[in-house]
Amino acid sequence: MQNSNIIQATGVHKSYNTSKVTVNALRGIDLSVIRGEMVAVMGPSGCGKTTLLNVLSGLDDVTKGQVVIDGSPIHTMSDRQCTRYRAEKMGFVFQSYNLLPVLSAVENVEFPLLMAGVKQSDARRRAQEALALVDLSEEAPKRPAEMSGGQQQRVTIARALANEPAIVWADEPTGNLDSENAAEVIDLLCRLNKEKLQTFVIVTHDLAVGRKTNRILRMADGQIVEELYMDAN
Amino acid sequence: MEKLFGIPIDQLMVALLIIFSLGIAVMIVVVMRNRVIFKLAVRNAPRRRAQAILIVMGLMLATMLFSASLTTGDTLTHSIRVQALQEIGEIDVVIEAEARQTSGQPSYYDEAFFHTVRDGLVDVSEVAGIAPLITEVAPVIVPDAGLNEARVNILGYAEQWMSGFDRLEDKQGGILSLSDLAHGQVYISNMLAEELVVSPGDTVYSYLGSVPTVLEVVGLYEKGANPSGDFSLVMPLPQLQELTGNENKINSIIITNQGDSVQGARHTDTVLSRLEPILEAGTLEATPVKQDALDDADEAGSAFSTIFLIFGQFSIAAGILLIFLIFVMLAAERKSELGITRAVGAQRGHIVRMFAFEGAIYALVAAVIGSLLGVAAGWGMVRIIAIAFGQADLELTFAFNWQSLVLAYTMGTVLTFVVVMISSWRVSRLNIVRAIRDIPEPTVSRKSIRGLILAILLPVAGILLTVAGLQGEQLAMFMLGVSLVIIGVPLLARRFGLPDRAAFTIAGLGVVAWWFLPADTLESVLPEMQQGMEMFFLSGIMLVVGAVWTVIYNSDILLGAVVRIFGRIRGLPPVLKTAISYPMQNRFRTGITLTMFSLVVFTLVVMAFIINSMTVIFEDTERLSGGFDIRANTSYANPIPEIRTALQKSEEVELDDFQAISSLNGAPVKVKQEGTDQEFTDFYLQGVDSSYTENITYKFDVIAAGYDSQQDIWQTLQEEPGTAVVSAYLVPTKQSYEMGGPTLDFRLEGFYIEDETIPEVFIQVQDPFTGVEQRLRVIGVLNQEAFYASGILTSQETVNSLFSQPVPPLSYMFQLKDSVDAETTAKALEATFVEHGMQAEVMAEEIRENASASVMINNLLQGFMGLGLLVGIAALGVIAARSVVERRKQIGVLRALGFQKSMVQFSFLLESSFVSLLGIGLGVALGAGLSVQIIDAMKESFAGLTYQVPWVNVVVVVIIAYGASLLTTYLPARQAAKIYPAEALRFE
Repeated sequence: MQNSNIIQATGVHKSYNTSKVTVNALRGIDLSVIRGEMVAVMGPSGCGKTTLLNVLSGLDDVTKGQVVIDGSPIHTMSDRQCTRYRAEKMGFVFQSYNLLPVLSAVENVEFPLLMAGVKQSDARRRAQEALALVDLSEEAPKRPAEMSGGQQQRVTIARALANEPAIVWADEPTGNLDSENAAEVIDLLCRLNKEKLQTFVIVTHDLAVGRKTNRILRMADGQIVEELYMDAN
Repeated sequence: MEKLFGIPIDQLMVALLIIFSLGIAVMIVVVMRNRVIFKLAVRNAPRRRAQAILIVMGLMLATMLFSASLTTGDTLTHSIRVQALQEIGEIDVVIEAEARQTSGQPSYYDEAFFHTVRDGLVDVSEVAGIAPLITEVAPVIVPDAGLNEARVNILGYAEQWMSGFDRLEDKQGGILSLSDLAHGQVYISNMLAEELVVSPGDTVYSYLGSVPTVLEVVGLYEKGANPSGDFSLVMPLPQLQELTGNENKINSIIITNQGDSVQGARHTDTVLSRLEPILEAGTLEATPVKQDALDDADEAGSAFSTIFLIFGQFSIAAGILLIFLIFVMLAAERKSELGITRAVGAQRGHIVRMFAFEGAIYALVAAVIGSLLGVAAGWGMVRIIAIAFGQADLELTFAFNWQSLVLAYTMGTVLTFVVVMISSWRVSRLNIVRAIRDIPEPTVSRKSIRGLILAILLPVAGILLTVAGLQGEQLAMFMLGVSLVIIGVPLLARRFGLPDRAAFTIAGLGVVAWWFLPADTLESVLPEMQQGMEMFFLSGIMLVVGAVWTVIYNSDILLGAVVRIFGRIRGLPPVLKTAISYPMQNRFRTGITLTMFSLVVFTLVVMAFIINSMTVIFEDTERLSGGFDIRANTSYANPIPEIRTALQKSEEVELDDFQAISSLNGAPVKVKQEGTDQEFTDFYLQGVDSSYTENITYKFDVIAAGYDSQQDIWQTLQEEPGTAVVSAYLVPTKQSYEMGGPTLDFRLEGFYIEDETIPEVFIQVQDPFTGVEQRLRVIGVLNQEAFYASGILTSQETVNSLFSQPVPPLSYMFQLKDSVDAETTAKALEATFVEHGMQAEVMAEEIRENASASVMINNLLQGFMGLGLLVGIAALGVIAARSVVERRKQIGVLRALGFQKSMVQFSFLLESSFVSLLGIGLGVALGAGLSVQIIDAMKESFAGLTYQVPWVNVVVVVIIAYGASLLTTYLPARQAAKIYPAEALRFE
């Protein structure tokens, strides 16, 4: 079982030093996620959910502790190695969509592929496939400003999936959506999790989202205080 | 123009083109390998059009300054070339006797030598023509009309040899042939005919000796009489030989090469090398007049371009800061996009490339506009210079060449691109999480390793520079080294707990105090230090950086003070607080903008002080004229035997009107400093009489040991043969402010003008005819105020003894009694000595004309430096536009809390006013402060200088700078006021 862990975090601490105070955002997190699992991280504002996602995904460094993703210790990687690793193995979905406004939908989706060194023609084909997966083939040439919030978030999901990552990190993926669009997006994530067997770590406030995952990690004050396994899923 | 900063333009252009092309090639390769990053850059560029325009404006300024400087240089080069070519026409090489007559005119030699030269060059295909020639200069008068021209070029041609040279042409293009002239008949130039009001058939008198020659004017020519100026007269060679008493003799052989008047110069080296064996044995020498004229023109143009580029340095520095600021702000605007780009796999290098591509697009466009606008600015500058040169003979014709345009373009693009690369590297160093969430970057931890290394490196580098400066006796290096120590030590102390405010304030104030250290304090400790123009630039930069640092790190005190002063005005405190708090919160961008404003205003104020002081110097005409009122020159062909006797007989002037009448003789000699490895060089030695030494008021910068007073020096010069005084320009100085221009062939060495006394220095003077030598002991170096004493001055007896015969005086200086009018007397002197070709000038008037030209050029330089203000203004525009976007939400909150639209607008205007006024204030204060030092230093050369505040000039600078900054921020402020609170509050 230990060998199938795709995420293994041990004693992870994260502190922020401002000029006046030190904020301990994570205080000794131990966590493991198995391959293909869909995990929700929940908790009140400021409990460290997003910080946890950031340090696990290598977007931010850890102050103390170890983070091993798919056997690779990312806490020891250089910025360059970590960026490369992200481009090849990870996908991201953010609350504010965070699409590049000057690129069209298909260009946004193919961007990480190109960064990972995929050939232009392959990248375009895979981007179109990813858009088809989220039912947005028709919207491929449109720029973000020409799409609805739900559509933009689906483009973000397509972008996260285009390089067929081992792990998809999602930070409040439904936070900016109405309930109908939110339900659609979460169903899509669940479907993809099942079809592609990718690991999903989702930070959310929404219990409805959490219920659709395999496990809910509840956080408070920078620590995981509770783990709930959702048997139905 | 052939050279810039001493580097041949062609080589500079090739080097820049190689760098430019390499840059473009690298970029194309990178684009091919990573098109999506290029796509991002291309699409980002036009996202905000107004901002893109501001960016292009900011980026184009450096190129514009380059282009304007080069255009001015090109115009000068072209104009001087045109004038030179008008005077020498097709002539490429002139062969004259090595030794000139004491009058300075070429000596005569056997006409047969012309045939020797001709035979020697018969097989040289590059030669198009060879001709014998006599050139003389003499006064020409029309007695009946009372009109005269003191210096007329009189040319004697042998027409049968003139093929290949210019022909004499009248206004209609008709050819005038010398064979049509009978004895006593001449052709004269149209300009001379106009001056003397004569036409064909009239008679003129020429004084080629003491007896006038009557000449009948047969025709007027427009061009073709070369080499000569505007006023010339032409006759057949035999006739001029007879008139000058030089039968079968000539004083020049002229050679023209194949090709037009400019192209012919290409063959100069070939012709000179063929002439070498022919001239080897004799006493004649060949001068490449065409090539020399073209070189002189290029040197003058290059010197002008260099001056403008040197004075434009501050604006260029401000422009570099603007480019940096623009890119940092662009990055701030796109922070979350950059974060997500990094999050999904883009490396830092990709971010650098993205900004570099975008910067390159802006730079390529901006450089095109900048170089073209620079040509326009250059045209404007040329118009002003033309007015300043109005008194001189030079007629300026606007010109620029494509090399300069390419040079300005590539210089601008390469400079911009380098700055863009550095800024891109800086902006790429972002924290992904903070960028995505648009959280401000935390202040850099004082405990970071990088910070520690920097804190240690700075004082260490400072100490090394200081030592290097001391060893090399270079003041700039020494001052900079100590400055780095002053900055480094508090920053190092910061690592051990010294608060930021204290560290930066100590560093800032320390630097300001160090650069304000009075020059004589340093000089008393380190008398050997040398300095140049770089000190002006360095002191400006360091003072401004120090002052801005101090202000930025003490902003809260400033804020408190402003609120206390203006806070009583009803409704003002909230607006005031927001207006000042924002810029003080963004220390980096406010600091850079303040630096830009302060730098430019600083230079303008210093320039205003210098102009003002120079004006004061020129107003003291008596000091510059040495106490004399009129100076006069006479013709060498007919010198005045005894001027006092002549004046006694004169009906036009009274001898009693004169307080003193001094005469100067002189002759061309060869000189070198004894005891050095110098070669003999041509020089003009002047001899003064006792009246001159008794009445002259010129002072000395440095005198030989053993003399009690300045008057002692003048007395010794007169009484002790073999002594001399020299001009300041012949002595090396520790303060070298040379900016190109012709180099001196002869200069003394072994001591500095700043020394206490002159050591034993002797000049060896040689009579070029006889080779007789004499030693002249240098006993004084004249002050720069000695406007009318140039070169080497000795006594007339010394000059006479060198030549073993009396050398007649050709120059005179007159001191008038108080009640006598100088202008009337000058005219009367000219009339009295008309046959001697006397040209008399009122010295005060001449000085004033010089002053107005000099002040105009200085004003132009100030205007040119003022172009840098555009940089500061553009920076304020960029910041204001960015602030509106950045603070949209906060504006919404303010509006929700009760801020009126007008208060928002006012707050924005107040904010930019605060930054611009602070920058202007710092610039004025620092400029005025440094001017005290500069004027003190200048006093050593110009004792009459006084420190006077140029109020009008400073007020104009302040009004223009502030007014323009208000105008730039008006639109963004209005835009901010129009923001709807509800919309702003939900804005993401």
